[in-house]
Amino acid sequence: MLPIRKSASALMRRSLVAGGILALALGAGMPFGSRALQAQSAVDILETGSSLLYPLFNLWVPAYAKSAPRVKITTQSTGSGTGIAQSVAGIAQIGASDAYLSDAMMKKHPTMLNIPLAISMQMVNYNVPGLNQRHLKLSGPVLAGIYQGKITKWNDPAIAAMNPGVKLPDHTIIPVHRSDGSGDTFIFTQYLAFSTPDWANSLSFGTTVSWPAVSGELGAVGNPGMVTALQDNPYSVAYIGTSYQHAIEKSHMGIAMLKNRAGNFVLANARTGAAAAAVMVPKTPKDQRVSLIFAPGRESYPIINYEYALVNSHQPATQTATALRKLFTWAIDPRGGNAPSFMRQVNFVPLPAPVAKLSAAQIAEIQ
Amino acid sequence: MSFRKSTAILASVVGGTLVVIVLFLTLYAWPAIRLNGIRFLGQNSWNLGSLYGNPITVRGQQILPGAHYGILFLIVGTLLSTAIALAIAVPVGVGAAMFLAEGVPSPLRPWMSFFVELLAAIPSVVYGLWGYVVVIPFLGHHLFPAMVRWLGFIPFLGGPAGSGYGLLTAGLVLTLMIVPLVTTTLRDALVSPQASSLREAAMALGASRFETLRAVLLPSVRRVLIGGSILATGRALGETMAVLMVSGNALNYLPGNIYTPISTMASFIVSQLDSALEDPTGMAVRSLAEVALVLCLISVVVNSFARFLLYYDASRA
Repeated sequence: MLPIRKSASALMRRSLVAGGILALALGAGMPFGSRALQAQSAVDILETGSSLLYPLFNLWVPAYAKSAPRVKITTQSTGSGTGIAQSVAGIAQIGASDAYLSDAMMKKHPTMLNIPLAISMQMVNYNVPGLNQRHLKLSGPVLAGIYQGKITKWNDPAIAAMNPGVKLPDHTIIPVHRSDGSGDTFIFTQYLAFSTPDWANSLSFGTTVSWPAVSGELGAVGNPGMVTALQDNPYSVAYIGTSYQHAIEKSHMGIAMLKNRAGNFVLANARTGAAAAAVMVPKTPKDQRVSLIFAPGRESYPIINYEYALVNSHQPATQTATALRKLFTWAIDPRGGNAPSFMRQVNFVPLPAPVAKLSAAQIAEIQ
Repeated sequence: MSFRKSTAILASVVGGTLVVIVLFLTLYAWPAIRLNGIRFLGQNSWNLGSLYGNPITVRGQQILPGAHYGILFLIVGTLLSTAIALAIAVPVGVGAAMFLAEGVPSPLRPWMSFFVELLAAIPSVVYGLWGYVVVIPFLGHHLFPAMVRWLGFIPFLGGPAGSGYGLLTAGLVLTLMIVPLVTTTLRDALVSPQASSLREAAMALGASRFETLRAVLLPSVRRVLIGGSILATGRALGETMAVLMVSGNALNYLPGNIYTPISTMASFIVSQLDSALEDPTGMAVRSLAEVALVLCLISVVVNSFARFLLYYDASRA
């Protein structure tokens, strides 16, 4: 044993020395860090979760900071699963999520609030060389077939029937799904479940589902990871939030037209999003936990959802509670965070007045 | 307090921590162990169940409807990626150690050694990022398709070349991380005083430099090589971030060839923890603890096997 122990410790010593050099090199950046610490403000708010809501929060924070300089808001794009987990654990003050908490989770954490801050939409994107400007038509059952491995080629009769006149390639489809807990997975699988009985009975919906094994399929982390996976893999298909539509357009990826409940193929835009919202708003209950997916109506876009802030109504410090109430009140205000200037940049739909009223009632509960 | 006593306390804290962690994991995972049974190790079905359904009771445990846990694909992914890494890293590490000990001109030797050791000190997430940004596009678009074309007749090297994320990529990134471990342990042994006296003795008997290395020095450091490889295996089995970033995060299927996406136990625990925390029954997190327990167990088995090899080697000599 002796030679091993000796050489192992020698190795350790050397790695420590080498590590020390790395640390010294990194340490050169220190003065900036300490200055940032000195400027620490009275209230710290951590927002984490949905990568779909993240771009909007990133626009909100600097704008809001002008009116509330003593509130320091940190934003993280981690995925709705993390938003849910860390907000119920009390690590983050705001858990951003595209999915509301389940009945069982609400039973376990009864003080949690699900407050809609805006309405977002989700695109189904594809990377089929030569066809990315065509807006291929896809439906829930076809997407379910693709993600179940029943439809494996782009020229499958089911896809061809929806896209007459389009020369579809004889190429294997690469379905890309989120591998982290994701609200995008939640709303996408709801679209599949509500439109395809077969999917509803087998995989149902959730922030994580047990994806069937499909040859070539990929898992990606976060909406940015989905965009990268789509770009890097010709013949892939992915579901991505509309706040990434600029990234999709810039990289010339395809945006599919989706079949809605009325049987029409629609693209995600302000009109189709608002049409779906108008139908679903009256169905929103007081606690606002409701799915807006697969709305009826000729023009309705099928995948829209409330973007939730998950917040504990019992805050440990009144200061934090006050700061949160003010922030959310500003965020849902049509002259504040819900102003068209913000919504347009991320392709979200502002909260309709009746929903904003319900949100305001929930915001008042934060104490 | 005497020196002996105080060091004894420190030593038992270190040893005790291991026992406490394993004990805690076992206790925490116990409901999952009872629920999942032995099928946990033999099935490919990690399924949290319907997160929005209402919990049901199965075998005395509260779980979500449809929940089912089986991790064969994780065990296979972990062992295969480690095996690939070892198969490449050991020969390369031995070659590099021989070169550093014998071949490098002496003024350069400390510098070359320093760089190899620096490689071992780089945090694994750096390898992961580099793998993600640089290696995967190259492998996925150039090397893998070429390998399928030219080596496709060999089992597991043919078939769809995939996207660059997968078993071989994970194996290659792990290789880079463990080569320095093998190299430095072996190089240290080759330049040790014992090795120097052996070298001088062999040279004095008229052996050439290569004969000395092959017939005298390498056999004398066999035990060190086994030890270094075990350190390397341990690191490869438990590596988390780098593998997470390049493995493709496969769920519930076994690799069909070496380009197929995989998941390893360590990276799976990280990637699934947040989703598991959404399970109101807590069974998902307990099942992740069971994964951690299996990983511990595999590490213990590997280490014991190495001890046995060393023991066997010593008793034969």
